[in-house]
Amino acid sequence: MLGRVFGIICILSLVFSLITGNTSGLSNAVLDGATQAVELVLTLTGIMCLWCGIMQVFEDAGLVKRLTRLMSPLLRVFFPTAYRTKNGAEEIAANISANLLGLGNAATPLAIRAMQKMQTSNPDPTGASDDMITLAVLNTASVSILPSTIIALRRAAGAAQPYLVVVPVWICSALSALFALLLSRAAAVAGRPARRRAKSAGKIAAAPGKAVGNMVSGAAPAASGGRGGER
Amino acid sequence: MTEFFSSLIIPVIVSAAGLVMLLGGSRFFDSFLRGAKVGLETALGLLPTLVALVCAVSMLNASGAVSFVCAKIAPAAAALGIPEGLLPLLLTRPISGSASTAVFSALLEEYGADSFEALCASVIMGSTDTLVYVVTVYFSAAGVKRTRHTFPVAVAVMIFGIFLSCLVCRLFFLRV
Repeated sequence: MLGRVFGIICILSLVFSLITGNTSGLSNAVLDGATQAVELVLTLTGIMCLWCGIMQVFEDAGLVKRLTRLMSPLLRVFFPTAYRTKNGAEEIAANISANLLGLGNAATPLAIRAMQKMQTSNPDPTGASDDMITLAVLNTASVSILPSTIIALRRAAGAAQPYLVVVPVWICSALSALFALLLSRAAAVAGRPARRRAKSAGKIAAAPGKAVGNMVSGAAPAASGGRGGER
Repeated sequence: MTEFFSSLIIPVIVSAAGLVMLLGGSRFFDSFLRGAKVGLETALGLLPTLVALVCAVSMLNASGAVSFVCAKIAPAAAALGIPEGLLPLLLTRPISGSASTAVFSALLEEYGADSFEALCASVIMGSTDTLVYVVTVYFSAAGVKRTRHTFPVAVAVMIFGIFLSCLVCRLFFLRV
């Protein structure tokens, strides 16, 4: 993935600089870029050490467990299958708590474990279940009590008050996360009747093989118009 | 008022950890050291990826490709209330965390950390995450092939987050 991104960017830059004639600028950019990366890591290292250390203190003091318990009534609504089957519910709550505290390193393995557990109670293991999608989408809207990396970068760039963005970040990330939960839930509910219909249609057309069933289930939601609301 | 409150957040969190250490004994300082070590490894582990991507981003900026593309989309973005300077960030944010960190730090350099563009970008960085990475890692770990409505919903959430960030920043920082 990153290899492809790197390749495309390099070739694009080379072609563009040949067109604009700014090849010496490009050459300097390569050398500067490598140095800048080291500076970037240096500005991040201090605060990442401090922050991860402090959050580890809170985690060992039992804060993650308490947060997990506090959130489960809310999560029951948005992850109904995981809570009913008790498969992955704990990991989901722990993943969200770890994200809140900015423990990215702890959050990713927890989410992966939650996914694997939910997969065991997934009626159709080739496709993601509704709750799996909700968890993935929720993790694309990051919620955290302190965006420490951003503050460190702002500080390094000479911001007068690097922490000034914290309150807007809270507002935006909380609303984005809520929107993520509601929209995935709405999409799951809207997709359900259409999928059931598609499944029975798939059974009728079962003879030509699975591909037809998949095609039908892919086309059915669009045809039924049931998913119109999520666009 | 919000300025006073914001300036207290970091000291309060750090002091709370200090209080835990004070009441809970020395084992919590060991917790701190353990966590800090993980943080150090994470930060240093980022370096190889960042060398490649910061280099690529700085090449792309120097070649003039970024300003060429951004000038093309800028009128449409401006009509939607998104400053032109944010476009490179918006294009990289869904794809890669390291690449968007590189773009973000280039943006802070170019516009100044206290500019409206920088504030908006900070809020976008803080309230969104890399869509492609999260979805591919999670689903490949679970062995799922069809992602069903994941991408449409995730893209909608990201667009919502971007517009919301710009809107909230305008309410917070542009009191004219």
